[in-house]
Amino acid sequence: MSGHVKNMCPQLSISQAARTLLSLLLVAAIDSVSAGVVCRKQPCGSSLQRSLKLTKLIHKESVDLLKTYKVSQGDMSELFCQMSINNVPDPNISGLDPSERMLSIYSHCKAFLPHLKRVTEQQTDLQPPSSALLSKLSTAQNRTNGLANQINCIYQTFFPNLPIPPEPVDGPTSVPPSQNVFQQKVYGCVVLKRFKEFLSRVTRELRTLKSQVCTRRTSFADTNALF
Amino acid sequence: MLSLFFLILYIPAVMSSSSQMAGIYPQDPALPIGSTLTATCSVSPDLGLHASSLFWSLNGRRLPSSSYSVLSPTALSVTLPGLPASRQRSGDNLVCHNHGGHVLAGSCLYIGMPPGKPVNLTCWSRNTKDLTCRWAPGGQGETFIKTKYTLKYKLRWYGREKECEEYSAAHPYSCYIPRDLALFTPYEIWVEATNQLGSATSDVITLDVLDVVTTDPPSGVSVSRVGDLEDHLSVRWESPPALKDFLFQAKYQIRYRLEDSSGWKVMDDIGNQTSCRLAGLRPGTVYFVQVRCNPVGIYGSRRAGIWSEWSHPTAASTPHSGRVLSGSCDSKSGDSNSTLRRELKQFFGWVRNHAYGCSGMSIKLYDQWRVWMQKSHKTRNQVLQGDKS
Repeated sequence: MSGHVKNMCPQLSISQAARTLLSLLLVAAIDSVSAGVVCRKQPCGSSLQRSLKLTKLIHKESVDLLKTYKVSQGDMSELFCQMSINNVPDPNISGLDPSERMLSIYSHCKAFLPHLKRVTEQQTDLQPPSSALLSKLSTAQNRTNGLANQINCIYQTFFPNLPIPPEPVDGPTSVPPSQNVFQQKVYGCVVLKRFKEFLSRVTRELRTLKSQVCTRRTSFADTNALF
Repeated sequence: MLSLFFLILYIPAVMSSSSQMAGIYPQDPALPIGSTLTATCSVSPDLGLHASSLFWSLNGRRLPSSSYSVLSPTALSVTLPGLPASRQRSGDNLVCHNHGGHVLAGSCLYIGMPPGKPVNLTCWSRNTKDLTCRWAPGGQGETFIKTKYTLKYKLRWYGREKECEEYSAAHPYSCYIPRDLALFTPYEIWVEATNQLGSATSDVITLDVLDVVTTDPPSGVSVSRVGDLEDHLSVRWESPPALKDFLFQAKYQIRYRLEDSSGWKVMDDIGNQTSCRLAGLRPGTVYFVQVRCNPVGIYGSRRAGIWSEWSHPTAASTPHSGRVLSGSCDSKSGDSNSTLRRELKQFFGWVRNHAYGCSGMSIKLYDQWRVWMQKSHKTRNQVLQGDKS
């Protein structure tokens, strides 16, 4: 700080003990907790890189998942995927600045989860127990939940002054009411197709965010942490 | 077989409102193989479609218009005679389309058979702690539609009926009861099979858990030479740990074979000893030996139990006549026999890789290597067979 500022505001002189306390509080703030997710401060580039790798993995698996799904629904199932259904999350990421887009990724992950769960429940009744489709659906849910947690932590780290993403509420309108078998087949196809498209967009988005948010010299997170 | 796929325009129909805009009756029916089905597609007048412009497909194949019937301006039916078994467990897709090919509504058909009476119900207990039951589906063994099997059991003289809850995905016709089983009192056990077309119940079997006990293979199996006797090997083992204190009258069986033979010789007059001597063997030959246990006399029962699995193979070799294997680590020494030389080279390489060194050299080590080679050869063959399938 310049001497000019010191002369302007002599009352802001802070004692050594208070400085130590402040430093401790800053360290404590690194471990922030939100909605059950414990986040530790991570280097900018590597945290986004990890999320990018995870996203690529889930996307690759989602291609195979959709293929497996179509095969297990029988012929004509390609046509089912082209139908539109209300209340299934769209695959587009919204927002103008990095924080909004990161928040959009997180919200979309959370929004897809109850639909993936519903598809799993429905297909559990429709497929034999040893069906590969069921294990792939379960894996997709677990990994998407993991990705949501990672994005949540990155968001808190990079934008600590912004509101913590609220947990989306699984209201009665988030998944469709009971459907006949044909409707279930169509619903599952639409969900998995949009899920695949969403992951493709997240992959591109995380690459962009990495270059925008993580610069070579300064960490965006460090800058924000200094008030 | 060529399916008649049709061109599809890229404007998707709105599915959620199609349940009001169009519908099929019956919705998701289950029918016996060979049935005739007449289904009706009804469209809302708001769609502005006439029934004569609609068409049907079944599993991606357009159905001939000769099977259609216009019931009204907004209703078109189709008749499907002699339906074959469903192609997939999730049902056959019967779909009503508009003239452009867009899906208006669909119904999934489940064509199959009622279940046959489950047969060959057998159960066994591992160390008296649990009960595993297995059965086979009755009839032709395949119903083509989802069939649920429920294993039920109750104590014969009292107690209420219970259902087994742990069904195996790996073994579809089996169930596992992990705990809380009564001993010295009979159970009645049966299987119920149910699907949308009917149900069937197996015969009831009655058993006391103690009469169907199996156990783990004997532990600590060791095979060793009997001095210099060229045609003898001594086999020793321990009682299976879980039932060690109860197996006073257990029976054991030994089987053995030559290393390069697939035929086993079985010795089953061993009784409840935990050692045995094999005689009349070929000198200078490697043998593989296995032991298994039958928990006869468990808790004083006089009945035989169920044989355990065989123990892991243990190898040993009988002494050569007049020849002793010398422990040289020099893989280039002496023998002009190319097969033996190659084998020795492999053996010494294995010794070095497993860090035994020359100080640990012994005939026992050689035997261990022979067992290892046998196992890895089997695994390679299984992988090759898996690649071919």
